[in-house]
Amino acid sequence: MSGILIIAEHINGALRDITGELAGAASSLKDKLGGPVSVAVLGAGDAELTGTANFLGVDEVINVNVGSEHFDAATYEEAAFAIGEKLRPQVILIGHTVGGMAYAPALAARLGSGFASDVLALDVIDGELVTTRGAYGNKVNLETAFPGKGVVVMTLRGATFEVPEGKGTAQITTQDIDYSTLDRKSTHVEYNIPPQAGVDLSKAEFILSVGRGVQDEENLPRFNELADKLGAVFGCSRPIVDAGWLPKSHQVGQSGKVASNCSIYLALGISGAVHHQFGMKHVDTIIAINTDTEAPIFNVATYGASIDLFEFADALEQILD
Amino acid sequence: METRELFWSLDGARILLFYVVGTAAIAIFLYGCWRHYAKYRRGASLTVEFDLWQGVKTMLVSVFTHRTVRKRDLIAGYAHAGIFFGFLIAFIGTSIIFIDYDIFKPIFGFSFWKGNFYLWFSLFLDLGHLALTAGLLVMILRRATWSLPKLNYMRSYRGETELRPKARAWQVEDWVFLLTLLVLEITGFLLEGVRLLSEPVDWAIWSPIGLAVAKFLSVLGVSPETATVIRSYNWWFHGILALAFTAAIPWYKAKHIIAVLGSLALRDPKALRRLPNVPEESDTDDEGSDKIGYADISDFTWKDMLNLDACTKCGRCHDVCPARTTGYPLSPRDLVLDLRTHNDETQGCASETIDLVGDVLDADTIWSCRSCGACQDICPVGVEHPAMIVQMRRHLVDQGEMDPNLKSTLDTIADVGNSMGEPARKRSAWTNELEFKVKDIREEKADILWFVGDYASFDPRNQKVSQAVARLLKAGGIDFALLHEGERTAGNDVRRVGEEGLFESLVEHNLAEMAASNPFARIITTDPHSYNTIKNEYPEFGDVAPINHYTELLADMLRDGQLKVKKPLNKRVTFHDPCHLGRINDGYEAPRAILEAIGCEVVEMPRNRSNSFCCGAGGGRIWIPDEPGAEKPSENRMHEAAELPDIEYFITCCPKDLTMFEDARKTSGHEKDLSVKDLAELVAEAIELDEISLVDLPPLAERLTDAVAERIADVISARLETALTNNLASLAVVQPALPPVTVPPSEPDTPATDAVSTLKAVAADPTSQAPSEVVAEKTQVVESAAPIAIQPEVALQPMDWDNLAPLAPAQLLDYDVPEKDGLRILVAIKHVAVLGDEHEFTADGCDIQAEFLEHELNEWDDAALEEALQLVEKAGSGEVVAVCIGPESADASLRKVLAKGASRAVRLWNDGLISADPLMIARGIAGVATKEQPDFILTGVQSSDHAHGATGAALSRILDLPHAAVVVALNWTQDGAIEVVRELEGGVRHSLSLPVPALLSIQTGGNTPRYATMRMIKKAKKLPIEVLDAESMLEGGGGYSVRRMYTPEQENAQMLDGSPQDIASFVANIIREKRGT
Repeated sequence: MSGILIIAEHINGALRDITGELAGAASSLKDKLGGPVSVAVLGAGDAELTGTANFLGVDEVINVNVGSEHFDAATYEEAAFAIGEKLRPQVILIGHTVGGMAYAPALAARLGSGFASDVLALDVIDGELVTTRGAYGNKVNLETAFPGKGVVVMTLRGATFEVPEGKGTAQITTQDIDYSTLDRKSTHVEYNIPPQAGVDLSKAEFILSVGRGVQDEENLPRFNELADKLGAVFGCSRPIVDAGWLPKSHQVGQSGKVASNCSIYLALGISGAVHHQFGMKHVDTIIAINTDTEAPIFNVATYGASIDLFEFADALEQILD
Repeated sequence: METRELFWSLDGARILLFYVVGTAAIAIFLYGCWRHYAKYRRGASLTVEFDLWQGVKTMLVSVFTHRTVRKRDLIAGYAHAGIFFGFLIAFIGTSIIFIDYDIFKPIFGFSFWKGNFYLWFSLFLDLGHLALTAGLLVMILRRATWSLPKLNYMRSYRGETELRPKARAWQVEDWVFLLTLLVLEITGFLLEGVRLLSEPVDWAIWSPIGLAVAKFLSVLGVSPETATVIRSYNWWFHGILALAFTAAIPWYKAKHIIAVLGSLALRDPKALRRLPNVPEESDTDDEGSDKIGYADISDFTWKDMLNLDACTKCGRCHDVCPARTTGYPLSPRDLVLDLRTHNDETQGCASETIDLVGDVLDADTIWSCRSCGACQDICPVGVEHPAMIVQMRRHLVDQGEMDPNLKSTLDTIADVGNSMGEPARKRSAWTNELEFKVKDIREEKADILWFVGDYASFDPRNQKVSQAVARLLKAGGIDFALLHEGERTAGNDVRRVGEEGLFESLVEHNLAEMAASNPFARIITTDPHSYNTIKNEYPEFGDVAPINHYTELLADMLRDGQLKVKKPLNKRVTFHDPCHLGRINDGYEAPRAILEAIGCEVVEMPRNRSNSFCCGAGGGRIWIPDEPGAEKPSENRMHEAAELPDIEYFITCCPKDLTMFEDARKTSGHEKDLSVKDLAELVAEAIELDEISLVDLPPLAERLTDAVAERIADVISARLETALTNNLASLAVVQPALPPVTVPPSEPDTPATDAVSTLKAVAADPTSQAPSEVVAEKTQVVESAAPIAIQPEVALQPMDWDNLAPLAPAQLLDYDVPEKDGLRILVAIKHVAVLGDEHEFTADGCDIQAEFLEHELNEWDDAALEEALQLVEKAGSGEVVAVCIGPESADASLRKVLAKGASRAVRLWNDGLISADPLMIARGIAGVATKEQPDFILTGVQSSDHAHGATGAALSRILDLPHAAVVVALNWTQDGAIEVVRELEGGVRHSLSLPVPALLSIQTGGNTPRYATMRMIKKAKKLPIEVLDAESMLEGGGGYSVRRMYTPEQENAQMLDGSPQDIASFVANIIREKRGT
């Protein structure tokens, strides 16, 4: 058993970023573990889509036609197993995403393999595969090993590993597998893209974002005004949206928007949980204000201050006036 | 002979007619009274003990001095006194005539209503009626021309712009009452006048008013003959009107004449100080008897109903209420009137069609109350509004109907014992700043136990006050101690919010801590809320020492010279009486005595003492967010203070007041006009506390010992570092977390001359304080060592592609699984850990030490539970069964889950599972599922502590079930597939359908988990938790084994220092640079 198998993730005919990141992780591991690195694209046999999975470092790309372009957990589990049986890889890499979470653990249970999720670093130490993930709300790290496991399935954290630069020279092969009789399958109904309302965080260059520290719904208007004065787009973290204080379109994070065009991110009263970081940690200049000196946001911010966000806002308003 | 003829000129038939009408009138009156009585009988019985005799005495004093009517409204007070005494005299007069004419004369054959007796009688009656008339005229003038807001029935706080028909009817009622009485008075005097005109007598002067009317009529040219004619018509008019008035008394506003007597007699002297307990549930009947609070009008006690009827719509409570004043949808007057209207319609019966909360009253009305007591304090007739509101809240809480912020605050209090969500361990962290150690009553005895309270412990602004108070006590030589982490919030506001069960558990806890502690003579506190409940409510649950508010102690210390004022402040200040100290517990003088003693001139707030205006934090309102834009009571108070000329300080002596007013000072725009300070801070200034040294100086011998030991410690640490760096391998058996090199605890009797014995003492005692420099050294040493490979706790099952080892459910011992009756849904529950801002690792380096972790029910599992409960409710029958892998402490979360509606719980545990990975966990849950054969399994997407997000999917594979992850909505029509919506990245939603049975992992935000009150949790103790040994989970292995847990090197942000202005300025510059503006 050798090699690394990646199961690609895609939606609406395009690969999701995580797939490239998995390829990047795989190629850095290849040196220590040994290849080959294969990417399996499970879908309706879309050759163009499959072609985009040909990253630098990838040795083989398999276009697997499972009969549907839409994600189904049971199908992906079966197909991954089938490909795995053929290729017999040592490691199977899947994204730690809504899709990946639905079948990667099932695949591991089926194989009896090693398993680690939301992995943020992998290494080979003394011939052993070792993974690192967060623990206790990501305040500490946990290192895990898989003694005796010839196969390890893992899901990797998004926006953490580097995408390889450059195209690969892999062979593209095709496979057809009929899963129409699979009885655990779901039936796809439809996708619903939330309506674009007002703010477009993904295009904003300057974002002022508030979190639980803002405490009351009644405090939001003044921060919204402050954002306007600064010329920033008003954003927020998940708890604000869950409480119904702002519409979903304002949410920065994994299940919200990624601030892809942002260059300045001002985070007020945001603790910086992983899913929020997903949406903003890449931003060039991050300024975080939070009275909790241990808040994870300070691990990704450029500048931080542990002062009261209302006092900060007062002072900033005074400067602007 | 001086007397007058009754029934003048009436023949027998007419007299009979009069008596018939009279009897009918009295019958109608009595019937009206009886109807009210019957209504009250349908009310609940009283739960609070009352002393009727004492109550009647108090009522008589109140009525005869008219103190309650005169309070803060002298004009209405005296006018009403005129009406009351006039009416009383008239009533006595008529009764005397009745007794004389209808009893004495027929039975004993003579009359006493004559002669001198008659003369004085006439005079008193005339004067009484004059007073009555004068009172009526004043009231009429007042009502007609003064446009008093309290008499205005328009509910502008509800956005009304014109009066409701019911309110118009009330106005009519008010005027009918006044005018009818006035007409009776006028026709009464007229009767006298025409009588004296047509039949003059020598003693006419004894009816001075009547005589004046007679003179006036004759001046107008009325002849005696005309007078006679007037007299006969007027007699019947006046008589019938008087009888009609009497008959009508119980049917409208006039009923207060009787109702008030009862209402005042039943006044609870401890109203709002001590709320009524919930009656004990009967053990036999689980279902119906567990009523808590008022769900319906029939739950109101008969005394409450009497209160409702006694209300005269005077509007004083409407005037003083801080909620109503600032535009919140609560007017105590309107609350009482709406309840009364409803009660009159249903006559004390519960209504099938009309909801108490929803139709009669709005929930936001009930939640607006601040429990300040201003309404019941000013009510002249003894209505006790606050307790009624708390009772209605109890029912709402029981149903889980409350603001989500309030729900989560109550959950937080139940978990960590304070409303801020701070770890309980840090409750007395504020004492670390002090120059001296504060005693722990659990370890040593003291004179005084200081019960600190939440805000005084955790809120930064209030911590400064606590520190000042601690220093003052120390300077004054007071022997005091704290409960430190043993203390939980006293629960005053938890009770006023209606969470009675949580309140009881807080009381039990605090009382137990106090009972288990060393002796103390009394308790003090800076928090009036804690003061109120410990003083008035705790004694009903157990013995508790007497308690004083710290202002009483400080006043005594200043008076007795324990604290000496060195520098009188000579400032003009104003003082805010806190509701729970002042109005509710009559504590006005001590703070003023203090201010005087320290040389402050107190300029009283316009609304002071019992009329003090609540800061708005009470009744749980500090935990409920306010509507944007509304004025807050604290802001209103700031405006009031700002009107006072030349005030330097606004003084408080309550932690919540300080918090609210420091805030309001800014938001009300008075930041430059007013400074808010606590009394303790001023006292500290006046006695020049800074100049007093409070450091505990250890005896000389101790100081010598410390100095020698420090030298030894330095030498040892240097040698250890060398040894460690050179000999890593030989430390394989040494625990990586070395016991700190310590300074031995000071023992004044043992001179430390022998270095070896000192070292032995050091090695043997790992609990002493470590000097900081040495600790830092040690930490460095450990981190440079390589991580030591740890033997996995559980051997993983080896496998490869040739030897696949699919996971199978754990083999568990059989237990009693009941027959399925409808749907069965299994919900996986985890009792998750919460890590605060400090941690230390366990000896094996694989986990964090338990003392640094708090625990709670996993938020995602709560969402899954809610989905499951809703599915069962929709199906109409079935059960939700909770499965948990966890140690005994996890039962706390399971109890909550059972309280919310799960029928059973199954818990698996074995100590070897401490580092179990999700695959192992999934096998355990699968083991239970094979026995339970559920129709659905719901899990949370992930647990908040480790967020693997894997258990659900792995479980679906082991059980071969269809599965969907990250579900935010589901819809099942009882047959066939289930429709499910999963939420993808970016908020995209994916709808799909799954065959049933299925496993779903549920995302938060898709539903609002219901609230389990402490009472429900206590009740749920009867529900079974099946505990199974899970050793079989360890065989068959899992997915990973732990190598180590460590604190990662963080790339940290560049932390900025300085004032908010400095930081804002820096940030503004960065923004300008980056944007090129």
